[in-house]
Amino acid sequence: MSFFLLITRNVWSKKARSIGLTFAVAFAVLTVVTLGVTSSGLEQSAAAIISVGKADFTVVQKDVSDTLASTIDTQQLAGLRHTPGVTSAVGVLVEIEHINADNPVFIEIGISPGDFAGFGVRVVAGSAYAPTAAHEVMLGWRAAANLGLHVGSRFDANGTWNTVTGIYSTGNAFGDAGAMFPLPAIQGYNRVPGIVTLAFVKVAPGTSVAAVTRRVAFAQPVLTTIRTAAQFGRADRDLIYLQAAVTGSTVLAILIGAVIVGNTMLLSLFERTHEFGLMRAVGWTRRRMVALLLGESLLLALMGAALGVALSFAVAAGLAHLPALKGVLHPNFTEDVFWRALYTALGMTLIGALYPTIRAALLSPLKALSYE
Amino acid sequence: MSESIDRQLAIDVKGVTRVFPGRVTALAGLDLNVRYGEMVAITGPSGCGKSTLLNILAAIDSPTSGSVIVAGHDLAHIHDLSGYRRHEVGLVFQLHNLLPQLSTLSNVELPMFGCGWSAHQRRTRALELLAEVDLSGCEQRLPTELSGGERQRVAIARALANEPKILLADEPTGSLDSASTARFLDLLKRLESGGMTIVMVTHAPDVAANAQRVIEMRDGTVVNESVAK
Ligand SMILES: Nc1ncnc2c1ncn2[C@@H]1O[C@H](COP(=O)(O)OP(=O)(O)OP(=O)(O)O)[C@@H](O)[C@H]1O
Ligand SMILES: [Mg+2]
Repeated sequence: MSFFLLITRNVWSKKARSIGLTFAVAFAVLTVVTLGVTSSGLEQSAAAIISVGKADFTVVQKDVSDTLASTIDTQQLAGLRHTPGVTSAVGVLVEIEHINADNPVFIEIGISPGDFAGFGVRVVAGSAYAPTAAHEVMLGWRAAANLGLHVGSRFDANGTWNTVTGIYSTGNAFGDAGAMFPLPAIQGYNRVPGIVTLAFVKVAPGTSVAAVTRRVAFAQPVLTTIRTAAQFGRADRDLIYLQAAVTGSTVLAILIGAVIVGNTMLLSLFERTHEFGLMRAVGWTRRRMVALLLGESLLLALMGAALGVALSFAVAAGLAHLPALKGVLHPNFTEDVFWRALYTALGMTLIGALYPTIRAALLSPLKALSYE
Repeated sequence: MSESIDRQLAIDVKGVTRVFPGRVTALAGLDLNVRYGEMVAITGPSGCGKSTLLNILAAIDSPTSGSVIVAGHDLAHIHDLSGYRRHEVGLVFQLHNLLPQLSTLSNVELPMFGCGWSAHQRRTRALELLAEVDLSGCEQRLPTELSGGERQRVAIARALANEPKILLADEPTGSLDSASTARFLDLLKRLESGGMTIVMVTHAPDVAANAQRVIEMRDGTVVNESVAK
């Protein structure tokens, strides 16, 4: 029998303990992984608005709780356009509207048709709306499919009726699941004339983007620039709170898990005292005892990690189908998530198993053998 | 110190005391010599210190005072206790000898971990040992699927795993019926004729009668010795 087989035998034979520990580890992993994938999914969905515009960087108002609460006025936009190195600054208004139960967070973008090219918008059916038209709308192809609408259909949104003039594609899932309106019209519907949410900025070829963002920050301190999705997370205060909550819950899950593992191992140690005494009496070294017990813990950690990840797939899929989160939450299972699952499982198991393992190794064989 | 080691003696115990916490004197200045190849039975009333003596010989307990030399090792100055337990002595208890979750074969392999052997070598050796104690065919059974007598024979196979010079058995037949006891004693005699040194604790006079020498203990010392055959 190999040492590894001995480990698996011990894990297998103590079924109740092994199942209990596997589930304890799995639930901690489930918590950590589900929080991880949903928060990074939310972050990505939000950041997707930014990647809709194919810009060198995006400008939003500084210190807003939610990026969509950002307001940039005409003067600020003009200031951006006149910043040295900037070739264009496209202002767009972004709104979220509850269309119906199936589309609780429908994204609406106010944008001038002249900015379509720079924004990566292709008209795939019908035609673009006129720059200042009222009651006209273009639907992303995903939105059109979801809503069952075509060119010429009527689409009620922003408290009014609109005619679908065309269908567009941006190549971005989030953008394609929304609608676009002439900028002045949507500003009017929302009673924010001249206001945009975000500005997508392009810099002249050969110009340093970093230098231009520094110039913007200096000239307009109330604005902030975002170059990557990760920076977006830092600009949006809701996402910062979300990340803090995720970190806190992760630490808590690991600690609670470690306590459960430690407690179970300690109980199992009392149960196995005679066994350990026997092994020491037939010549097992302390080091070998530690290797055996840590090996058992490691195996349980791996089983728990695997189960936890499997469960989190199910839970994340379930969450994504909740009416309130429909279309917003795209669980994001990256490689990173699996490493996190592994670290969580190994971390909590090793922390929990350390003390019982050391105690078992330090048992006096005589006392252990006479233990009933 | 090495001059004082008598190379003829497998076990050389001088003036050993063992006082447990609470001032329980289990051994009170005990002397004992066992020659290589000898089979010795230790008898005496309950609580006279038989198990304590055996545990000290097996190096799972240590004396409060006195000297214990086993197979040339002064147990007070031994560096590798685990190595001593693994290679020099084999241990058989009255009960709970085997790990319940492991097969007969794996139980016999247990002391071979740490000897630098491959899994295959361990298996081969364990199969040999099981054949030696007439248990071929029972390799994959769990201890609960064996009779008491079979279990004790597995315990002997395990005790012999690393070819120790000395076999220590603490009431190995205490839980066996007469047929199983007879079979167990046959095995011991076969080992004895192969040159094994055997120290066996027993309550039963008919079991003790199989030894070359019977040592009677009382209150932690040897009170009588008789040659049985
Ligand atoms: N760990 C211990 N702590 C305190 N006292 C002990 C301990 N182990 C044994 N004793 C005491 O030491 C004495 C000798 O015990 P030991 O087990 O050696 O007797 P024994 O001759 O084997 O008896 P039995 O025939 O019942 O097995 C007894 O009085 C016992 O109570
Ligand atoms: Mg006893």
